[in-house]
Amino acid sequence: MAVSALKRWAGKAPASVFVAIGEGMRERVERLFADPRIERAATPRHAAIFLIAGPMRLEDREDLRRLHDQMPHPRATLLWAAEVGEALGDAEKLNFTLQPADTSRADEAALDRLTRIWAELSDGERPSEPDLLHDEPPNPWQGIGPHGQGGKGMMGGTPYGRPMAMTADDLRDGLALDPYTARFGPFLPMFPPGLLLEMTLQGDVIQSAKVLRPPLPQAARDDASAALLRLARLLDLLGLPVLGHRARLAAAGDRPSSTLETLGRAIRWSGSTLAIRPGLGAVEGQGDLRTRFDDLLAVTGGSSAETRPELPESAHLSSLLPGLEWSEAMLVLNSFDDETLSALAVVKEDEDKDGHDHEGSGYMHHEHHGHGGHQGDGGHDHHAGHGGGA
Amino acid sequence: MDLVTKIIVICAVSALAIFALWRTGAKDATAPQQLPYLGGGTPDTHAWQRYHVRYYSMTLLFIAFEMEMMFMYPWAVVFVEEGGKAMMEMGMFLAILSIGIVYAWREGVFRWQ
Amino acid sequence: MTTFLAALLLILFLSVGFAGAAVADRAIPAFLAGQTAPSWRLSLADAVRLLQTQRIRTEAPDALLWWLAPALYLALAIVGLAVIPFGQDLVAIPSEVGIVVWGSCEALTIVAVFMFGWSANAPLALIGAYRYVAIGLPAMLLSMFVLIGAALPAESLGFIEIVEAQRTVWNVVRQPAGLILFLMLGLAISLRGPFDYASPEDLAGGVTADVSGPGLLAWKIARLTMLVSVSAVTATAFLGGYLGPILPGFVWLLLKTAVVLLVLIWAGSVFARMPPARMMSVIWTMLLPLSFLMLLVVGVELLLWG
Repeated sequence: MAVSALKRWAGKAPASVFVAIGEGMRERVERLFADPRIERAATPRHAAIFLIAGPMRLEDREDLRRLHDQMPHPRATLLWAAEVGEALGDAEKLNFTLQPADTSRADEAALDRLTRIWAELSDGERPSEPDLLHDEPPNPWQGIGPHGQGGKGMMGGTPYGRPMAMTADDLRDGLALDPYTARFGPFLPMFPPGLLLEMTLQGDVIQSAKVLRPPLPQAARDDASAALLRLARLLDLLGLPVLGHRARLAAAGDRPSSTLETLGRAIRWSGSTLAIRPGLGAVEGQGDLRTRFDDLLAVTGGSSAETRPELPESAHLSSLLPGLEWSEAMLVLNSFDDETLSALAVVKEDEDKDGHDHEGSGYMHHEHHGHGGHQGDGGHDHHAGHGGGA
Repeated sequence: MDLVTKIIVICAVSALAIFALWRTGAKDATAPQQLPYLGGGTPDTHAWQRYHVRYYSMTLLFIAFEMEMMFMYPWAVVFVEEGGKAMMEMGMFLAILSIGIVYAWREGVFRWQ
Repeated sequence: MTTFLAALLLILFLSVGFAGAAVADRAIPAFLAGQTAPSWRLSLADAVRLLQTQRIRTEAPDALLWWLAPALYLALAIVGLAVIPFGQDLVAIPSEVGIVVWGSCEALTIVAVFMFGWSANAPLALIGAYRYVAIGLPAMLLSMFVLIGAALPAESLGFIEIVEAQRTVWNVVRQPAGLILFLMLGLAISLRGPFDYASPEDLAGGVTADVSGPGLLAWKIARLTMLVSVSAVTATAFLGGYLGPILPGFVWLLLKTAVVLLVLIWAGSVFARMPPARMMSVIWTMLLPLSFLMLLVVGVELLLWG
C-alpha cells in the first residue's frame, strides 16, 4: 500500500529530462522547457528521461549511449525526430515532419509523450531500460600493490581501471602540478550542442583546447527571438535562471515592449555586467564579452540584433579558450551567434593526426553494428550528409 | 546534559538519518553507469590529482585573520568595561592587518594565480 | 524541564521552517519568473521521486566521506539552530559562547561542501568543491566580524544576552551594513544564487553533478535546513530574535526568520554571480574593510552613548 502511494506521489513531480540537442533543434527544445510539466536536468544523474531531439551525427552515437547508461534507474528514452539507427536500442520514437506551421502542435505532442512516459515510469508500468554498453571497466586493473598504484614510478598502473595524472607545467605560474585531460561534450548543457572539445585543465584553468567535433548546425536565424535565447543562456550561466526563464518566455511569445523593458531593467539591476571582466573573450571585430552581452541586452530595449563584421582567419577556440578560467570560458562559448561559433570551432586538419590515440581509454563497445562501423570519437569524417537541416 | 553531549547526540541523529536515506537507493551500479559525467566524453585519468589550488596564497592571509578571531572573542566581552583602551588596541591590531591586506592585494594574492 | 521544552520547540521550529523553506524555494523563483505559483505538492513529489531513484556510485568514489558530507552539513545546521533562544530561557543548547558555536558551524560547512564535491572522483564536482573553498573562507571571516559587532553591546558571546541587549534598539539599526554582509554569508553557506560557487550552472550542478536519487535528496535536505538555520541566526543577531509584543517569543522568532528566509531566496534569484577570482578579491578588498568599519562604528557609538 505504502509503496503504491509513494509511486502516485512521484508521478506528480515534473518529468526530469536530460536532453541531447541535435541539428536545428536548439531553439525549439529551449522553448519546450518553458512548460512547467517538464524540468531540464543539468546531468543525466538527475534525470529520469533521456530526450534525444533532432538528427545526430554518426560519431555522436557512442556518446549518446554513454549518457544513456549514466542515468539512474528507472529510466526511459524518447527519440524526438532523431535518427540514431539501433544505437539506443528499441527506444520510443516520436517523429514529425518539419513544417513551420505545425511546430506548436508537434511541441505539444512531445510534451504529452514526455509526461506520459514519466507517468508510466513512476507507476512501474514501464520497465526501466537496461544498459547499452558492456559492464566492464574502461581498462583492466594493472599495477603493483593493494590499490594498483605501483608500476613504473609512483604513477604507473591503472588503479580502478584508470591511470592517475602525471605532472606538467602550468600555463600561468609554471608550477608543475597535475593536468586533467578529458573530452568535454558533446552534450554538456553549458556547451553549444554537439561541440566536443578535448581540453587539458590545471585547477580550473584551461591549458589547451582542441575541437574534435564542431557544434551541430542550428537553424540560422538572426532575429530578436534568437538573440533573447542567447541572452537567456548567458543569464543561466551568471546564476540568474529566473531572468533566463523570463527571456525564454519573451522569446517564445509575442512580447509587449513593457515586458522587455522590465526584463532589461532587472538584468541591469542584477549586476551582471559587473560579473563580466572587461576584455574577456575579445575577438577582433566581435568586441569582448561585455560588448556582446550589452548588444544582446539592447534587444530588450527594442533595437535589433547587431550584425558584426567577418571573423579574422586566425580566430579559433583553440587559441581563445586556453588561459581562461572555467566559468569565463563557458560564458565566452555561449556569447557568439551560431554562425560565428561554427567559424570559431572548425576542426583543424593538422591537429587531427594525433587526435585518436586517447579513445582507447574510453568505452569502446560495438554491440550494435547497424550504424556503419564508425570510430566512436574523432570528428572529421562526418558532417557531409547534414546540410541545411531544419 | 552538557553542550558536548548534546552536540554529539545531534550529530549521531543526523548521521543515522542521512545514512538510512543514503542506503535506500543503493543498487550496484554497472561500469558504464559509473563513468564520471562529462557530457558524453571520456576522461584520460582519475579526477583526483595534485589539484592546482589557485588561491593558495590567499589561505595564508586567511590564517592570520583566523588567529585574530581568537583574540577578538574575549575582547568583545570586555569591550564596554575597558572602554577606550580596548578600542585603541583593536584599532591598532586591525590597522596592521589591513596593511597586510593592502600588501597582499599589491602582490596579487587575490588573483587566480 | 525547560531544556526538554526547548528541544521540542527546536523540532517544531525545524519542521515548520523546513516545510516553509521547501515551498518558498519553488514559489519565489516561479513568481519572479512570471509563472503561475506551483502547487505545494511539487516539492514533496520531487522528494518522493528522488527517493525511488537509484543512487549511482562513480568510479572508485570516497564512499565514506560521500555520505558523511550531507550528514555533517545537516548536523551543523541543526546545532547552529539549537543555540538560538526561543524565549528568555528557552534554549535547546544553552551556551555562553553561542557565537563561537555558530562560527564553528559556519567554518565546518566549508569542510562538508568540500567533502561532498571531493568524494565523487569526478571533474566537475571537484572544481566546484575547490572553488567553494576560495569563497567560503573569506565569507566566513566577514560574518564573524559582523557577529562580534553584534556581541559588543551585549558584553557577551551568548545569543540570549545578544537578544536582551536589543530591547532598546535592534542591531540592524546599529549596523545596517552588517545585516547585508551577514545575508551574503547566508547565501554562501546555504549554496544559493550569487554565492553558489559549489553547484553553479556552468559546472552542470558542480558538487551535485554526479549524485543521483536519495543522495541528491539528502544534500537538498541539508541545504534547505541550513537556510532555515542561517535565517534564524540572522533574525536573532540583527532583528531582536524572540523580542516582540503580545505574541509568544517563539512565534516572533518564526515570523522574523520567515522574513529573512524570503529575502534570502529573493536575493538568490535576482543577483548575478561574479567569477570566483573576482568575488574573492571583492570580499577581501572591499567587504572585509567595510566590516572593520562597521565594528568601529558600533564601538564608537558604545563608547559615546553606551
